[in-house]
Amino acid sequence: MIDAALFSSALGALTPILFAALAGALCQRAGVFNISLEGTMLVGAFAGVAGSWYTGSVWLGVLTAVLAGTAYSVILAVAHVSLGGDAIVLGVAINLLAVGLTSFLIRTVFGTRGTFSDPALRGLESVHIPGIADIPFVGEVLSGHSVLVYASWLAVVLLAVLLYRHPWGLRLRGIGERPEAAASLGVSVTRYRYGVILAGGALCGLAGAQLALGNVTLFSENMTAGRGWIAVVAVMLGRALPYGVLAAAVLFGLAEAFGFRLQGIGLPQQATDAAPYVVTLLALFVSSARIRRSRTREST
Amino acid sequence: MTRQQPEPQAAVTLRGIVKRYPGVLANDHVDLTVADGEIHALMGENGAGKSTLMSILYGLSQPDDGEIELGGRPVTFSSAAQAIDAGIGMVQQGFALFDTLSVTDNVVFGAEPTRRGLLDRRAARAAVAELVERHGLRVRPTDRVGDLPVGVRQQVEILKLLYRRARVLILDEPTAVLTPAETERLFDVLRGLAADGHTILFVSHKLHEVLSLSDNVTVLRDGRVTMRSATADTDRAALAAAMTGRDVELDKIYPPGTPGEVVLAAHGLTIGGPGKPVLADVSLEVRAGEVVGIAGVAGNGQTELVAAIAGLRDLDAGTVTVGGVDLRGLSVRARRAAGLAHVPEDRAEVGSAPRARLADNLAVGFQRRLARRGFLAPKAIRAHSAAIVEQYDVRAAGPDAPMRTLSGGNQQKAILGREMAHDAPVLLVEQPTRGVDIGAVVNIHRRLVEYRDAGHAVLLVSAELSEIRALADRVLVMYEGRVVAELTKDEATYEALGLAMAGGAS
Amino acid sequence: MRTVGVTLLAALVLGAVLLAATGANPLDAYWAIVTGAFGPDGIQDTLAYAVPVVGMAVALAIPLRAGMVNLGGEGQLVLGAISAIAVGLHTSGVLGIVAALVAGTLAGALYAAVAAVCETRLGVPLLVTTLLLSYPAMSLAAYLVRFPMRDAGSSLPQSEQLPPDVRLPAMGTGVTVGLFLIVAAVAVYAVVDARTPAGFETRVTGWGPRFAQYAGIDRPALTVRLLACSGGLAGLVGAVVVLGFPYRFIDGALITPQYTWIGLLAALLAAANPLGTLVAAVFFAALTSGGFAMERATQVPRELTAVLQAVLIIFLAAATGLLRKRRSPA
Repeated sequence: MIDAALFSSALGALTPILFAALAGALCQRAGVFNISLEGTMLVGAFAGVAGSWYTGSVWLGVLTAVLAGTAYSVILAVAHVSLGGDAIVLGVAINLLAVGLTSFLIRTVFGTRGTFSDPALRGLESVHIPGIADIPFVGEVLSGHSVLVYASWLAVVLLAVLLYRHPWGLRLRGIGERPEAAASLGVSVTRYRYGVILAGGALCGLAGAQLALGNVTLFSENMTAGRGWIAVVAVMLGRALPYGVLAAAVLFGLAEAFGFRLQGIGLPQQATDAAPYVVTLLALFVSSARIRRSRTREST
Repeated sequence: MTRQQPEPQAAVTLRGIVKRYPGVLANDHVDLTVADGEIHALMGENGAGKSTLMSILYGLSQPDDGEIELGGRPVTFSSAAQAIDAGIGMVQQGFALFDTLSVTDNVVFGAEPTRRGLLDRRAARAAVAELVERHGLRVRPTDRVGDLPVGVRQQVEILKLLYRRARVLILDEPTAVLTPAETERLFDVLRGLAADGHTILFVSHKLHEVLSLSDNVTVLRDGRVTMRSATADTDRAALAAAMTGRDVELDKIYPPGTPGEVVLAAHGLTIGGPGKPVLADVSLEVRAGEVVGIAGVAGNGQTELVAAIAGLRDLDAGTVTVGGVDLRGLSVRARRAAGLAHVPEDRAEVGSAPRARLADNLAVGFQRRLARRGFLAPKAIRAHSAAIVEQYDVRAAGPDAPMRTLSGGNQQKAILGREMAHDAPVLLVEQPTRGVDIGAVVNIHRRLVEYRDAGHAVLLVSAELSEIRALADRVLVMYEGRVVAELTKDEATYEALGLAMAGGAS
Repeated sequence: MRTVGVTLLAALVLGAVLLAATGANPLDAYWAIVTGAFGPDGIQDTLAYAVPVVGMAVALAIPLRAGMVNLGGEGQLVLGAISAIAVGLHTSGVLGIVAALVAGTLAGALYAAVAAVCETRLGVPLLVTTLLLSYPAMSLAAYLVRFPMRDAGSSLPQSEQLPPDVRLPAMGTGVTVGLFLIVAAVAVYAVVDARTPAGFETRVTGWGPRFAQYAGIDRPALTVRLLACSGGLAGLVGAVVVLGFPYRFIDGALITPQYTWIGLLAALLAAANPLGTLVAAVFFAALTSGGFAMERATQVPRELTAVLQAVLIIFLAAATGLLRKRRSPA
């Protein structure tokens, strides 16, 4: 029941969520409540497939995904940071726009509905890490994933270094805590918030690329299927900390992978579909209870 | 206290500054000249234009007309960053500190020393330590700012300016949150900086501080300069008249009330904290027809005390009774029903809904009373609102005007009127005249005295000693969560209060 | 009002650009949308689509008025629908219809109340609890309709059909008397919001939660009440839909049309104002319905209307933000 393949598939599955959650966490640190992760990931997925298809190179496809994600996130940046639009309204609208736009495009660009897939479409290859791959159990878990999976771990570390060891990180944390104070010290809140939103867009682009070129090799309408929302929850559960968010994403990935296993012993698919959400909710209860107990109760 | 005469060369010159906002001329051709090494006070009531003027000097906003010169050279600032580069620093009211970061992080924020791209923490700590040493400040570079007392936080603010090599320091109402003892310490630091050649611009509305610290003073009223003088050549009456445009009765003290039965009684109120307790065994009584004033600098437990009585915060121990009714376990609504009314400290976030209409703001708390057969009666709401507006002289465009379009004084009058309309036996009032112009201050003080004389009990929390002295029949002084002194009206002199507020030691 | 006009125009221009880029004629497409939505044939489809969208918009507006976001509308909608079918299959007559509607409403109300209690007792934000609970609800319905409640005669994931006497009478194609129920719900919301103490307290909470607490408003109780009403109405919408043609629960049939998300957008756009929510919801429903007609007539993919809606919201949100910034003095 619990074997290496379980953890391996969990790792592959959680990568898109991890990238998106890192994007969300980065934005959260600077005081931007970014719930457009779902839509941006979807745009990245479509762009990745389109890029790979038209150029014949999966790496150009990934690049297209990153560029598309970044470009798409300009909408939130301009409408929210420069123009002051409400983050929640914009987030929901941007998500819906992505669904509509990608469905529109799959019809007009690829001429199909539902799913676009083609044997000639190049996907991400699995990387076999010599040396590590031979270690029993651990090797099976860690080796054999796409490059983006490993890149996501690197992204966690880079984010941690950025936030705590780099001047930009210090400024981001200050902006997130008290933007007016940061502004009064000459730090441009607008510029840094643009920065995190666009960087977040790039990360969501990578998430989409892993989703559509890594785990599978196709684009299907609405294929993000709520992962962006799970990423939002992961940011909350992980308190917008790089390693916290990683832990939350791992929790979700494991719950999902375990769910698939349970299907194997006869539990209906729908029960295991629901499992990750229930598990995350329980984790949130536990985490909230601990926070409330350590804080003196005050309501002002 | 003798000081070198400042050099007759202008460090800062503001000429003909004009700044308009929708509906108001905030700065009306203002001129201001300050020399190197001078301490210059900028005085005025709320809304006189002092903060606007300083924002312009600091680059946070741009003037519609006029010039700025530094050391004789014309400059324009389109951002605070540029002003900082030109050597201007500002400590704003309320401070601009990050509680979750350390002193060092706060000081170097935005101008961090780096090594190979990453933060050079050691260099930062060293730079901060050096400045602390040189100017005799009492700050530890590694402390978390959120844990620091207010006086120290202010010193961190000054450190920020010095780290950026500010020659001109602007301090906006710096003593609002300090005890008299901390104020003196601050003044020593400022005098030292001025002697070093720094130029200090000191925005304040406190007459005795301006007279004690500054070399020269400029007074603004309604956006215009009404007085320019060497401090030695003027006095409190002249300054007050220049600020308000009329002769003001300074330090008015209202006659005492005639106390009756105890209405509000609190015993052993305690709220624990991570370190020192927030409230430590606080007991007090307020009688009908009496004003009990709680003096003390913000942050010594006054806010939490009122919140606990009002039901906005839980107590770890202690009881509160109103008219004999034990409030333990009762909700905010139940406590209000038992006879509490509350004018909170935070007008904008707690005491009102700025976006909503005046009439709606005034109806809050009365929504059940203003309903007929389960439905709100619009006519009753209007009548209720009109009555309060009339009785408390609230100036507004109309009952449908959004609350935020009223001036601070009128908002406060409206809130006071609403709470007094409950005719509750106990009225909790916090900082009733903060950010309120002098005309409204007198009005509000009179209302509070009238409410007391109608037989109600008033618990007044204020950081303004003059207000406490004016209104309170008895004064309790809070320090670090405890009541450290109880003084009668006669005993409550500035000296006695100041001593108690500092914990008994000067 | 002028803002809405300008942003609408801007959205239409952007949509025209998109259309032109894909080789279609914008004017033909837009005209097809209008005639499709309001033409003699289209108006029925528009109404049929508008009923659930308006219902969900109002359902989500109820807590939004107090600043609370219910992201679990889909789960509550689906639970309401499946409960209505479960009850309806075992009853008969008008009593059966009423029982089914009540069952749907109760199911949605209880489920939403659970999410509310999670916030008030356990401190997990409502936005998260409602969202996370939505998926298990949809999974439950998906399971029920594939196993215990499956229509034995079909291979599709759908329930049995309701008996002929447990169906809402139809008024034209796709619309039933359920329309009046939803309209009544909107009217009740409007009245309660504007004219009752409870509605007043809800609005006060929306203006400022700290203000509301200071004034003695019991936020936890309010949260549970509002969410129960919200989920209840969502459940009612689900019940009304399945008590109409094709009179059965089909897995996904309530999700694919995006009733909930479009309703949420309408409520967010109108800041939960009752009349504004209604107008916005009807407008979006008309746009979507017109989109289907447009696709039939011009081969332009119907998703264009979804794109137009989203772009319009984005422009409006940005414009509102800009106005708010300009109005407040520095």
